[in-house]
Amino acid sequence: MGKTILAVDDSGSLRQMVVFSLRAAGYQVTEAVDGQDGLDKAKEQVFDLVLTDQNMPRMDGLSLIRALRALPTYQKVPILMLTTESSDEMKAKGRAAGANGWLVKPFDPQRLTEVVRKVIG
Amino acid sequence: MMEEKTSARQIKDLLSGLAEHGSQHLAEAETDLIQTNILLREAIAKLGASFMAIHGAIVLQQQMVEEALACAAVPADAVEALRAQSGQIGLHVNSAITGLQFQDMTNQLISRTMRRIAGLRDVLLLVGEEGDMIPVETDASHMQVLLDKITETMRAQSTVLEKELWKAVCQTHMESGDIELF
Repeated sequence: MGKTILAVDDSGSLRQMVVFSLRAAGYQVTEAVDGQDGLDKAKEQVFDLVLTDQNMPRMDGLSLIRALRALPTYQKVPILMLTTESSDEMKAKGRAAGANGWLVKPFDPQRLTEVVRKVIG
Repeated sequence: MMEEKTSARQIKDLLSGLAEHGSQHLAEAETDLIQTNILLREAIAKLGASFMAIHGAIVLQQQMVEEALACAAVPADAVEALRAQSGQIGLHVNSAITGLQFQDMTNQLISRTMRRIAGLRDVLLLVGEEGDMIPVETDASHMQVLLDKITETMRAQSTVLEKELWKAVCQTHMESGDIELF
């Protein structure tokens, strides 16, 4: 059974590309439409990796990371940000919140799967 | 006194006209942006669906080619050419996936522009309202005070608006972005 990934993004077209790329690499991907949906799904199942956008309605990526890190089951789960945001200021906030990496959109599927493989195998 | 009355009337008309015409143009810009966003959303849905269908067909076709190659006596250079073509398709698929992410960015940029337009309309509305409150019979020194007040209101509104409009998309091309592991 492949490793499980939770992909959180409010853009349907972006999620479609993330899911396509990661499933092609053998991962099991669950989609969430925003931070709150991501948190709800993460509470139902512990994923091997969380990949989240930053700017989303209801709950943004940084808030999601803080909420996940507050859960005992997600203290060591790798969390990567996949966002249009590229400023050092935002990256520092992500790091402080508990993110393990920062990927700036748009992503190249090969580079994305390489990073995911490096992080969770 | 007559001159002051005339200039007060002219200033009221100017502010009222600025608010009215400005708002009309902004409403048109807003309508165009909504339409653009609808078209882009529909375009990406179609492109995404077509991409998936084409990719599925290509994968199936490549499997059939592999099976045919395993059964038939095919010259080595033809096998090599087919494999090279398969590699090229893979590169194009990756490139298409990167390109197909445009709508996420255009949507954010359009949403930000819409919020700016709404904010600017509020600023113009305030200018119009403040202008309406200027008495027709106003002396020059009072007029100066009123105009300064309008300028200050406009500046404050503009500052508030700017603070609410964090720019989340700075990309100017569709090349893949940086990756950093902490």
